[in-house]
Amino acid sequence: MDEHLSLKLDKVIHQKARLGIMSILSVKEEAEFNYLKTQMKLTDGNLSTHLSHLENSHYIRIKKIFVRKKPKTVCRLTEKGRKAFMEYIKNLEQIIGSVPQV
Amino acid sequence: MTEDEKKLALQDIAYIKEMVSQAKKDISHFGSGWIMMLWGIFCYIGVAGQRLFFTDGPIIGIWWTGLTVVTIFLTFMIARSHSQGASPKQLRSYARWFMIFWLPLLALAYTLCLFCVFLPDLSLAYISVFILLVISTGYIMLGLMFFRDILFMGLLGMIGTIITAIFFLEYNDIILGVLFGTGLIISGLVINQKWKSLNGRTSQP
Repeated sequence: MDEHLSLKLDKVIHQKARLGIMSILSVKEEAEFNYLKTQMKLTDGNLSTHLSHLENSHYIRIKKIFVRKKPKTVCRLTEKGRKAFMEYIKNLEQIIGSVPQV
Repeated sequence: MTEDEKKLALQDIAYIKEMVSQAKKDISHFGSGWIMMLWGIFCYIGVAGQRLFFTDGPIIGIWWTGLTVVTIFLTFMIARSHSQGASPKQLRSYARWFMIFWLPLLALAYTLCLFCVFLPDLSLAYISVFILLVISTGYIMLGLMFFRDILFMGLLGMIGTIITAIFFLEYNDIILGVLFGTGLIISGLVINQKWKSLNGRTSQP
């Protein structure tokens, strides 16, 4: 097996919180900030940092909307993010050998 | 590639699977346990009202229609209070899916009810039988598509309704009210319990 395969893993995704965020967004079309915070058990500041990291890499899009006059922060995966996530899984599978698809 | 790297990769895959499965469950929940319990209570109140207070022909229809409207409103409130994690787009697609699934079935149930009202050969006693057969069909369809527990309830409901219609038509409202009411309340409790153990947190209406 390729000795440098683990180096191919995307550094942006290769972090537990960001991997979790990407996993959730790969299923849900959109997810709200508070939902992600609860699921990931992160503080506001921590989550914001991870989201900014993903947004700067153009893996997610963040938008602020108003629902019944209340502001909400909604995140969604971009096409680039989806591809990067699939690539990440493919690389993990290569490392392991053969693992069923997620 | 070292064994440690493989182990880490396996852990990553397991973590992704866990998050994906949790997110999928969240999409399908929306307070469904509480909603089922609410409709179980609806069955009990409806039958009790029909037997005790609203015993005459047309007023029975008004009673059930009024109660249905109130219960639909409460269902909406519960679903809304449980949808904080969902985006408006998701909510719209969920509502659209719900309508695509249930509206044709409910339209069929109401058409069958109209047959009972206008066709002299059909007894009014068949109204609840028709409604519950259609609802059982809906549960069976949902069960086949998504949840095994609901499939079981749909089958039980359908068999119970058929037996009641054949042998105990005179008492169909009481039997079916208790059958569906209890079934819904128990299913709601089971769903909430599963949800609670899954999340390690309390689900509230």
